[in-house]
Order: sequence, then structure tokens, then C-alpha cells
Amino acid sequence: MSKDVIVTQNISKTYGKPPLQVFALRGTNLHIKQGDYIAIIGPSGSGKSTLMNLLGCLDKPTTGSIFIDGKDVSTLNENELARIRREKIGFIFQKYNLIPTLNALENVELSMGFAGVDSQTRTKKAKQLLELVELSKRLTHKPSEMSGGEQQRVAIARALANNPSIILADEPTGNVDTKSGENIMNILENVNKKGETIIIVTHNMAIAQRAKRVLRIQDGEVQEEHA
Amino acid sequence: MLRDHVKLAVKNLRHRFSRSILTLLGIAIGIMAIISLLALGEGMQQAVTGELSSLSDVIIVSTGGGGFSSFAGGGSTSTGEYFTQRDIAGIERLQGIKEVSTQLSGYGLAEYNGKTTVLSLTGMEVSVMKLQYASQNLEAGGFLNEGDQNKIMIGNGIAHDTFDADISIGGRIKINGQKFFVSGIFGKQGFGGTSSDSIVLMTSRDFKKLTGQSNISLIYLRVNNVNDAESIATTIQNAINENHGKKDFATATTMTSILKTVQNIIGILQLVLVGIASIALVVASIGIMNTMLTSVMERTREIGIMKAIGATTRDIMSIFIIEGVLMSGVGGAIGIILGVFGSQALTLILNGFMSMGGSFNLVPIITITSVVLAVAVSLIVGVLSSLYPAWKAARMSPIEAVRYE
Repeated sequence: MSKDVIVTQNISKTYGKPPLQVFALRGTNLHIKQGDYIAIIGPSGSGKSTLMNLLGCLDKPTTGSIFIDGKDVSTLNENELARIRREKIGFIFQKYNLIPTLNALENVELSMGFAGVDSQTRTKKAKQLLELVELSKRLTHKPSEMSGGEQQRVAIARALANNPSIILADEPTGNVDTKSGENIMNILENVNKKGETIIIVTHNMAIAQRAKRVLRIQDGEVQEEHA
Repeated sequence: MLRDHVKLAVKNLRHRFSRSILTLLGIAIGIMAIISLLALGEGMQQAVTGELSSLSDVIIVSTGGGGFSSFAGGGSTSTGEYFTQRDIAGIERLQGIKEVSTQLSGYGLAEYNGKTTVLSLTGMEVSVMKLQYASQNLEAGGFLNEGDQNKIMIGNGIAHDTFDADISIGGRIKINGQKFFVSGIFGKQGFGGTSSDSIVLMTSRDFKKLTGQSNISLIYLRVNNVNDAESIATTIQNAINENHGKKDFATATTMTSILKTVQNIIGILQLVLVGIASIALVVASIGIMNTMLTSVMERTREIGIMKAIGATTRDIMSIFIIEGVLMSGVGGAIGIILGVFGSQALTLILNGFMSMGGSFNLVPIITITSVVLAVAVSLIVGVLSSLYPAWKAARMSPIEAVRYE
């Protein structure tokens, strides 16, 4: 049995104060294991983004604890969270979210820079990753000079840069055409086959069905869907 | 790490090129103003110091309380009393004195072009004459020479206002029945020291021959060692006051003390000018802050992304502060270069004005200190004005920022 990378203990997230309190997420217990391939699905407003922000250490739960690689992250301060994010988590966003002033290579190197990797190692690693996503010929292109699919592949390379424990992808194919979407999913699945944990947030059922586990969120409650 | 921050900052500034240029121009203008005004002030200091320090071994002893005004006026004898031979002998006995000479004062009846009037006459050694009036420009003619007889130099007022007709070089004035040739006319003094406008200057020998008197109104002396000047001046002042039995009969002034006073005045002037120039810098730093705040707003999403992929508060602060410092630093460097040219231009204009009044020739001097100061000030301005925008950027929540459209 492989080890847990994420464990949540009864986490909830509320906004506002009683009696006007709104539950975005109710007591959720999850165990995500190394090498998992999980899809989180649910209608808009169901709490998908909230869960994703919590799993990605972008936000802290109102109650409960989140353990990432055995470490409780729900009590960490902002800078400690930033460290967890760059060491443990790779983000892929629907809108790619590359830095517009940096070229593909520099975008991939950026998070390694924040992690303090020296520039030689960084460049070497970034080139390898861009080769993995089949963008060796686009190293010096700025985001504005690339197609949506290409930008998203740069984002995947960036997400992998610091050897994270988890890849969190929010609608990774939401803004690209079908063919590019397929390409992106294949890359992610290849990465998963090498042992990387992948969590995809989507409301595209075709994408969700490719995952090994599906978590459905409805009104802030998470339920495991059995295939 | 820092290198990456710098790289990011440079890319951002280049991305918003024209805005960055305009912002740093503000700093450049402020620094230019400071550099050129400092250069001008330094130039003034050096010009004055240069002119006066050649006289630093000189002590002037005058009657009455005001030493400096007597010096400029060329011997006012308002008290009606003069130095005595005993005073001179006393000074000559002192140690460390190189030479002593005197200025004689008296009155004579002068006649020119049919009009007669009483003028105050001044007699002194030719060498002293050149020394005392070195900074005075001449309207026409030249100084008297050693051995000249029956020649005089006259003030601008005497040449043009005293008599019915203008007097020119070679003109003949009868004083006490003796003919004198005008060989030099002083330029108009204008504000500050009108007294040399009404001077009639002749050699000591002519003065004695003409008046039969030797009323000493001023004593000039030079000391061997400049460092002794102050103490010798005090000794002389006390001795002469004792001779005459008055507390304030004589005032002995060293050139060094005059020099210090003038330098202080220029120093204060300089401070005021730089203070005014600093206003430009304050405005420029507000400009930087404004540009940076706009930039933070525009880059909300970018900041969020960087935080999401692991940038700490310190990383974000550092990137924005570096941007501010880069803008002000480059602005400062441009300002220093502009300041070099600016000070030249300013000097040209000022010299144009002053050439009417004096032989004063100003050269701007840019010191290392002023350059270092300019660099330091621009860097400090950069840090201070980017601190708030950087803090604002750093405390953005990555969720809000990423969601920001």
C-alpha cells in the first residue's frame, strides 16, 4: 500500500459569521495516496474551488486539519505555506497563468528560483521538462507567442519543476481545443504513471471518467463516487 | 535569488518602458537640480577661497569697530583719530611679521573743468594697492606702478558724477594746486560697497608730499606664518588699544576670519538651494510610488501566480522594491550626467550676469561627495517610495489574486 500524501481530518470552510454563516465545505475526510489519479467534480458553486484551494495550501480551513506528507499545514503561517506550495504542490490553472513578461524557459525556472535552485541546475531541469511536454522548440517564446495548448504545456512543465508530491489541475483543458486537450491529458496521465499524484478539478465528465477515483462535491459535501 | 528578483524587475520595467522612463525622468530632474546647485556652490566657495586665500597671511588693522567695512571702504576715519608712529613701531617690534605698510588718509581740494570740490584722498604703497583692490575690476586704464609720480586712480563716481564733465584716462585733476594724471578708473561697485566709487588713490610718497601729513588710517601687515595670524592680530589690537587708552580704538582682522565668514554665508546659501531642489525629489518619489501602485494593481494576477507557485512575502516585496530602486537608480545616474551639463549651463548664465559687476569667473565643481550623495539619495528615494506598493503587493492573497480578472 502506498503512503498518504494528503489526509484531511474533518475540514470545513465557512465564510461570514453566524447566523449568516455560509458553509463552502462541510466536515470532509479524505485520504489521497501517492500515485492517485483523482477527479473532483461538481456543479459551479458546489465548493470545488474551495477544496482545491485548501488542498493546494492557498487557503486555510476554518476547522479541521490537513496533513501533507504527514505535516499539518493548517496551522502554518503565510510564508510557511508558500514553502509547502513550492516544494509539495504543482499548480495548473484553467487560464494557464504564465508570467507574460517571461519566456517559456523562464516561466518554468521561476518556481525553482523561489525554491533557491541554482541557475545552471534550473535551466537544465527546465529544458528537460519542456522536452517532456514537447516544447523544445518554444524555449524562448513568450506566452503571447504561443497557442493555448502550448501555454498549458508550459504550465505543466512549471508545475513539475520542483518535484512536487501533488499536481493540482483546475480545468486544465477548459480553455483549449479538443486535440490539445487530449494531448494535455495524455501528458498528465504519463506523469501519473511515473508515480506522480494528480488531482484534476473539472466539470467535464469525459475527463473525469479517465481518473481512477472520482470525488463528487454537492453543496459543500464530498462523496466518493465508485466506478 | 536576488539576481532572479533583479531579472524579473528589469523585465517588468522594460515591459512598461515608456512609463518607466517617464517616472525615472522625475528622479533624473531632481538629482540634476541637486548636482548642479551643489557644483555651483562649490564653484563659488573655491572662487572666493582662491581669491582670498592668497591673502591669508594679511592682517588689516583699522580704526573703529568695523574691521571689514573699513577694509572695503579704504580707510574711513570717522573717529577722526589716526594711528601713530608709536603704533607702527610697536607692530614692527613683534616677532613673525614680514612687512608692514600703511594707508594714509586726508582731504584735498580738487579742481577739474572749472569746478572745485573737497575729496578724501588715500595714499598707499603700490604693492598694497594691488593687493587690496585685486578683486576690483577697472573700467579703464591700469594700476599705478612702482615709482609713478603725480598719477592717481579714481573711483567710478568721481570719474562720472562728481564733476560736470566725465573724466577719462589721462585727464588732469588739480589737487591742492598740484596736477595729477588719471591713470586708472575703477568700475562701478554697485550694491554692497559704494565707498570705492568715491576714492582718490595715490602713492604714499605723493600723498606725503602733497599734504605734508601722514595720517595713518589703515595698517597692512603680512605675517611669516599663516597659523600665527590670529594670535598676532589679537596682540596688535590689544597693544594699539592700550596705546590710545580706548577699548575699541582699533580692529585687527585676519583674512582667514573673513574667509570663514564668507564660506559660511555661501554654505548656508548652498543649503537653501539644495533644499529647494529636494522638493523636486519629493515630487519624483511620489511619482515612483504612483507608478508602482498602478503596476501592483495591473499585476494582481501575476503576483497571485507567483505566490501560488511558492513566492514568499519577502520575494514579492523584494521584486517590487528592486523595481523602485532600479527606476530611481537609473534616474539618479541620468540626473548626475544631466547635472554635469546643467551646472555648466547655469554657470554660463550666471557669469553672463556677473560680468557686468565684477571680474568674478565662476567654474562649477562637481565633487565626489556630491555624486555619492546623489547616488545615496536616489537609492533611498527608490526604497522609500516603493515600500508601500511592495507591501501592498506582498500581502495579496494568492486566491484573490489568481481569480482577479
